Formats: sequence, C-alpha cells, structure tokens
Amino acid sequence: MSGFLGGMWLIVTLDLKQRVRGVAWYVLLGVFVLLVTIVTALLVLATNAWDDGGGGVFSTIVFFVLLLGTLVSPALSGNAINGERDAGTLATTQVTLISTAQLVVGKWVAAWLTALTFLAASLPFLVFAVALGQVSAATIAISVLVLALELGIIAAIGVGLSGLLTRPLFSVTVTYLVVAALSVGTLIGFGLGGAAIQTTVRQTYIGVDWRELEEEGNPPVGERPPCLPPEVREYPTPRLDLVWGFLAANPYVVVADAAPGSFDEFGSPRDLFGWIAVGVRSAQHAPDTDAVIDECADWRPSGEWVSPDTQTPREIYERSVPSWFVGLAVHALLGAGALAWAWSRTRVPAKRLPAGSRVA
Amino acid sequence: MGGITVEGVARAFGDVHAVRDASFSVEPGHVAGLIGPNGAGKTTLLLMLATLLAPDAGTIRIAGHDPVAEPRAVRERIGWMPDALGSWPSLTVRDALATSARMYGLTRDAASARAAELIDLVDLAPLADRPTRVLSRGQKQRLSLARALVHDPDVLLLDEPASGLDPAARASLRELVRRLAGEGKTLLVSSHVLAELEEMADTAVYLAGGVTAAADAVARAGRSARQWRVRSLDPLRLDEALTAAGFGAVARIDNLGAVVPLSSEADAAQLLAHLVGVGVPVSSFAPAVGDLEHVFLDLNRAGPPPAAPGSDAATPFGDSGPAAPGEARA
Repeated sequence: MSGFLGGMWLIVTLDLKQRVRGVAWYVLLGVFVLLVTIVTALLVLATNAWDDGGGGVFSTIVFFVLLLGTLVSPALSGNAINGERDAGTLATTQVTLISTAQLVVGKWVAAWLTALTFLAASLPFLVFAVALGQVSAATIAISVLVLALELGIIAAIGVGLSGLLTRPLFSVTVTYLVVAALSVGTLIGFGLGGAAIQTTVRQTYIGVDWRELEEEGNPPVGERPPCLPPEVREYPTPRLDLVWGFLAANPYVVVADAAPGSFDEFGSPRDLFGWIAVGVRSAQHAPDTDAVIDECADWRPSGEWVSPDTQTPREIYERSVPSWFVGLAVHALLGAGALAWAWSRTRVPAKRLPAGSRVA
Repeated sequence: MGGITVEGVARAFGDVHAVRDASFSVEPGHVAGLIGPNGAGKTTLLLMLATLLAPDAGTIRIAGHDPVAEPRAVRERIGWMPDALGSWPSLTVRDALATSARMYGLTRDAASARAAELIDLVDLAPLADRPTRVLSRGQKQRLSLARALVHDPDVLLLDEPASGLDPAARASLRELVRRLAGEGKTLLVSSHVLAELEEMADTAVYLAGGVTAAADAVARAGRSARQWRVRSLDPLRLDEALTAAGFGAVARIDNLGAVVPLSSEADAAQLLAHLVGVGVPVSSFAPAVGDLEHVFLDLNRAGPPPAAPGSDAATPFGDSGPAAPGEARA
C-alpha cells in the first residue's frame, strides 16, 4: 500500500463496499428522499414560494437536510470501530500493515462519504429552491459546504466514540446525545445561562411637556420645547452577550450564520438564515445599562419623527463577529479530539484495555 | 534469523494474571504445539506474539524483531489465525482474501492472484464467490487460515486451527502445516486437542496457569510412570498373568483388556516379554495416551501454579465462541 493515503483509502473502500451491499443503507436513503420531497412540496404550498423567490424554501430545506443528516449520521458512524471489534474483523486488520491512524481516519472518511450521499440526494431539492429565483450562488455554495462539514464533524464524533466505548449500542446512543446537546442543549444553555446572569438596566426617559406647548404645537419660547423632568426606571435584563458562545456552537446557527447575509432595502434579512444570523449576532452586544431616551431633544417643530439611533438588522449584522467561525472551530476541535482519542485507545500493541473489552 | 523467542513474558488484565511467566523458543522449520487447559493463557500469549497486546514484562523476539518496538517489521513476517472467526460478512471469499492481501501492500493484481492461489490451497473454490457470512464454521476456519498465509509469512501463529474442521480438512491442515515447516517456516499451533497436535507438532510448549513448564519438568514428566494398554485374545489369561507378575493391585481390567501403569519404557519391554513368555496371546501393547497428553496430564497433576480465577473484567481471550454469524451490518 503506497503511503498513508493508499492504506486509508483501502479501508474506506472496504467499508463502503460493505455498506452498499447491505439493504439498510438504501432503505434509509429512500426514506430520506421521501421526507425531503414531502417537506419541499408542503413548503412551496405554504410559503407561496413562486412569488417570493424561494429564499425561505431554500433555507428551510437546508435545515431539514441538516436535521435528517444529524439523525442518520450517528447510526452510520457510531459503530464503526467497536462493531468491527464485535465482528472479530478489527484485530485481523490490525495485524496487517494498516496502521491504526489509517484505520480510524479511513472509517471516518467512509462514514462521512456515506452521510454525504444523503446531502447529494437532497441537492435536487435545493436546486429547485434556487430555480425559484432569488437565492444567490454564494449562499447555496456556502450553505452546502458548511452542511457537508457539519456532517463530517458528526461522523468524526461517531467514529471517535465507537473507538472509545466498547458496546456499539452505547456509542451510537452517546453520539445521538452529543448531537442533541449541540442542537438543543446549546439553546437551553443559552436561554438559561442568559436568564441566570441578569443585569439591571437604568433607563432614563425625558418626555416633552405637551401641556406647555402652544395650540399649534410650537414651543412657547424659542426653538426647544419644554421638557418633563427625567423619569428613571430600573429593570433586569439577561446578559446574553456573556452566553452567546452557546448559541454559536449550535450547528443550525453555524449553517445560518455562515451563509452570506442578504438584506432588502430596509436592512431586513431576506431569508430564515439572515434572521437567525441577526438574532445570534445581536446577542453578542452587551445591553446598554444606562439608556437615555430623550424624546424632548429629538422633538422637531414640524412634528416629524426623528428616529433615535436604532440600528437596522443589517447594521447589527455587519458590526458583529461572525459566529459561525467560532462554532465551526469548536465542532472541528470536538471531532478531531474524538478521533485522536479513539486512535490512542485503538492502538496496538495495547497496553491497557478498558474493562470488558477484548482485543480479538 | 527466524523463529520465536519468548523470555519471562507476563501479562495481566486488572488483577487477572493471564500469563505469568512464559519462556520458550521455536526454531525455524519446526512446528511447536502450544498446549494448555482452557484459560491457561494460550490466546493471550498468541495476541502478544501477534503485536496486538503489549506484555507487562519480559521480551519477545519474532524473527529477531520486538513486537512492541517494531510492530511493522513483525507484522510483515507473521501470519496470525485468531480463535475468534471474524470475516467481513458481505464480502465474497475472494474479495476478503484480496482485501487482506492489499492490506499487506500487494498491488491489486498481485492480491487477486494470491487470493485465487489460497482459495485452491484451502479448498474453498466452490464458495469463492459467495459472501463469507454463508460459510460454516469449518469453512470460516479455512478462510481464516488462508488469510494468515496471504503475505507468505515466515512465522505462523495458529490459534485452534483444527476446531470445527471435518476429518478431511484436518488431514489437509496437518499436511499443510508439515509442508510449511518443511519450507523453513516457524509455526506455533495452539490446541487442546492433543491427538491433533501430536501428529503435526515436533516440539511442544506447555502452558498452565500462565506459566510455561520448564524443560526439565517436561523431561521428567515424559519419563514418569504412564499407563500402558494391553490387549489380549484371551482376557482371562491376561488377567491371571498380570496378577501373577504382581500387577494385580495396580492394573485396571476392563472389557478392552488391561491398563497397567509402568514407570519406564524398559519396564514396558520387560512386561511385554514376560507376558509373551508365559503364553498370553497379546494383540496390542501400547501407551494408553499420546506423548503430549501424557506430559500434559502429568504436568497438570504435578500442580502448576493455580490458574487465576476467571473474571468478567477485561477478557481479551475468550472461549466464549465466535461472533454470531450474519450479524447485521448497515
């Protein structure tokens, strides 16, 4: 076997050969395509997608593919190594010139490629959403790429856990729990964390004393209206800026935030991804703990409303840190760590064996 | 230089001491039987030789290489046939062998040529294109043997190779083992079917309670009193003659004849001469058990260190049988 890649690829092809000869994989793929078809059809009917350009359909399908991908991937990867050990084929591979690193990486690549077939099967639906119109090529390319990376990370976690834990059932379950922790646990962590760490906001309100104005609404003296004395109000607010990291680690947020934002002329996002990205990014900013709302200063004789300097979603989006980068890095570390740990546990000659396991 | 040298090797799993002190060597061109009761540490010892387990203590050299320090060099030279029969269930016999060959760095063409060769060697031609999950235990055993030979190794470690084989397959296994030894390879064959080993091994390693028997203990056991079976056309006369010769108290008479304990081959020759001399029609006069079995039983009786009690913690070796065939793989 020429070099590391040759041996690794042999493991990949061996693994894939066995999968495609099984029935389970085809059944899963069929169910997957059926579900995506149903969801796409319903979405098109529900959102009036023919008219609004398909942005909503596209982002929802991507999320749906991510959801199904994260549900299928642990089952495809979570027994990669301990399943082989149970079948008695791990040790017979390890006495050959295939190294443990080639074995672990090969298993991971095979699990990833298998998960990617699910993404590939959903591509026609994404293309359909694109064909409806206004989704930019960059959004599509980046969403699909990040989706592919996320599937690879889940495959890495699954293969890693299958090398760490002895029983396949247990490692598949733990992989599901990790996926659940990332998808749902991060939301809970974000919400509860923000609520637990609260800070008091002191809001000062200065209103116009309307009763002192003349009948036409002009100030009695000069240009400025008479002001009411400042009213001070105090209330608690969650410090989401301290816990936004939780949200960044959510795979859905990663996918949404990574897509280049597209905004309309009022600075509002055009698709689901944009709204999520703006939401996550606005959580990065600390609440203004000493806010002053000075209506009196903003008063104009013409009666026109001068908006205080609130930001459009687009401005919030643009002045914040892209959180997908952080989230993807955290995920990549998690996956790489799981693989490295599995490698060190699977290495032979084995020095220490975990309780209840056997070499061959 | 080839061969296997093991010195003072020990390996424990938690507080289960599977192998306590194993020392032996096997020269190239020889077939050594690894003999011991269940749980004696045979499989653990073989796993250490096969670069899968690191010994806690002691040194191992396989063809001059250390399995811990240079596992790759050792792997190039050993063929290991495990006791657990694992095979990729959905691959055909031919694919499985070719894949194994490629794991040893053979090119695609060389690998399929080698696979075809081995299929003929172990007589699996009718099943070559069937998935391995349909194989019976004996057929899997032959596939496993073929896989151990796939890279033409100098040292072969065979763990219970004969179990599950039918008599014809056993005979061809025996022949193959002797032929490989004739080619100058080193073979270590574990079994507790001693009659089986008797016919292929020319030397033996006795392992009990994780300890190999020392050479002098083996020699002593070989010389010790053993049972001889005597058959006669006239059992009554045989009985009388044995009683007259003073064996009445120790000889066991049964419907096949008599079993007489004798302390040496000289004593046996003397008794035979005597029986023939007094006119007993002796039809058969031979050791009741084979050499290996005799030594094995004698060593066990002599009381080796008691085997560590079994434990559920870390059991890298198992007589629990192979994985169920046809397990579901996605």
